[in-house]
Amino acid sequence: MPLSDDELKDAIVAKATKAPKPQLYIKDFYKCDPDSKARRIKNVANELVREERLMFWSSGSTTMYGIPSRIKNEDDKDQSN
Amino acid sequence: MPKHDTPLLDELEKGPWPSFVTDIKRQAETKPECWDILGQLEVSFVDKITHWKHGGIVGVFGYGGGIVGRYSDMPKQFPGVAHFHTVRLNQPSSKFYNTAKLRAICDLWEKYGSGMTNMHGSTGDLVLLGTTTENLEPLFYDLTHDLKQDLGGSGSNLRTPACCLGTARCEYSCYDTASLCHHLTMHYQDEIHRPAFPYKFKFKMSGCPNDCVASIARSDFSVIGTWKDDIRIDQAEVAKYISGDNKPNGGAKSNASAFDMERDVLALCPTGCMRMKGDELQIDNKNCTRCMHCLNMMPKACRPGLVKGASILCGAKAPILDGAQMATLTIPFIEINPDNDYEAVIDVIEEIWDWWMTVGKNRERVGETIQRVGLPTFIKVLGLDPIPQHVKIPRENPYVFWTSDEVPGGFDRDVREFRKKHAQ
Repeated sequence: MPLSDDELKDAIVAKATKAPKPQLYIKDFYKCDPDSKARRIKNVANELVREERLMFWSSGSTTMYGIPSRIKNEDDKDQSN
Repeated sequence: MPKHDTPLLDELEKGPWPSFVTDIKRQAETKPECWDILGQLEVSFVDKITHWKHGGIVGVFGYGGGIVGRYSDMPKQFPGVAHFHTVRLNQPSSKFYNTAKLRAICDLWEKYGSGMTNMHGSTGDLVLLGTTTENLEPLFYDLTHDLKQDLGGSGSNLRTPACCLGTARCEYSCYDTASLCHHLTMHYQDEIHRPAFPYKFKFKMSGCPNDCVASIARSDFSVIGTWKDDIRIDQAEVAKYISGDNKPNGGAKSNASAFDMERDVLALCPTGCMRMKGDELQIDNKNCTRCMHCLNMMPKACRPGLVKGASILCGAKAPILDGAQMATLTIPFIEINPDNDYEAVIDVIEEIWDWWMTVGKNRERVGETIQRVGLPTFIKVLGLDPIPQHVKIPRENPYVFWTSDEVPGGFDRDVREFRKKHAQ
């Protein structure tokens, strides 16, 4: 049975918090709820961006998701290099 | 006065052709950061590497596309381009806009950016080159509130849909490309502005098989206008081409030698489906592959049929992982019906997305996914029956892999019994 929206949001945030790299592809979140369709997971991830619990990060050609504080840390390091 | 010495770039100003170096120098007179573009590019010419870095967290709130982060890796030497982000604006369908709109965009870009533009980007966007992170939100506010102008797509989003001029300006067009393009743009706003896919996904729409937006080579989902019935022939106009009263190819070949029906049309038909019987031009329409050559050469004499729609082709891309790939004809004829909001086209798009979002690997275009799993799997996903047009090279591969449900009696059938029947 698919997770509720709130359960799915918590699972996505937990995944993004624990992942070794701060940036994740949308596909990385699919495993958070194998019973949900890919488009639902995308919509929930985008809602988390609007709630500022996730943020977008772009490589230029690919857009990824991550926890804002983790991504900002990584970006600051990159800018100072 | 130039801020940097650029002897290598200065070479590009010599000769009779326009030079982007001259253009940037002119712009630098009012936008001094443009000197740093030239300075950094000169260093890149010497070092033979780029000094741009891409990506990062730039963007406007809630949008995961439309702005491509760009930074210099030499910010101390070239502070004017330390941040130099690109903004993509969604072009109007068929690129119909007036000079007032263009002036308003340029004025806004002089205020918030470098003033440099790229008209148009490969996907068709109005591309604004070079601004800072702090200027993005105010620029976006003015764009959307004053100019009613939205951003285009970038990253793993649906990219800005693009189309040819279509029925607005072209007699060949078999459907209203601008209408379909606008409808898909509005219908899929979320997919354009927020990442949805394993990688980029492009729609392109051409009104006829001349394919003026090169959708067959450049888009994941190509909609090319076509017709089902016979090419309409006006024999009186055919006679005028033969007599020289009509200029072939719309007059484009007026300086060439006199029109020769046999040499210029019949012999160039790829399937040899045309012939002259006396003074009458005849076409075996069943063998016509819609190459458009006869229609292009004799536009007054040959016109598309009246039962119009489109072909759907999938999976083209420029080289990223595996090299360039042309699209594969997937659906030879589909209805293009604005009265039901293009239901047939949208059903196919969403079938493809649901499958590719699950099966596609990260950074894999849908054409690469099709190549990896095989066309038979892809057409099965879409619920299509195989047709001869799906076969790229007949009898190339001696191995045919059947599934159990494709074999009468399945894999559990009694082979000895089957062979007895076969022997009779």
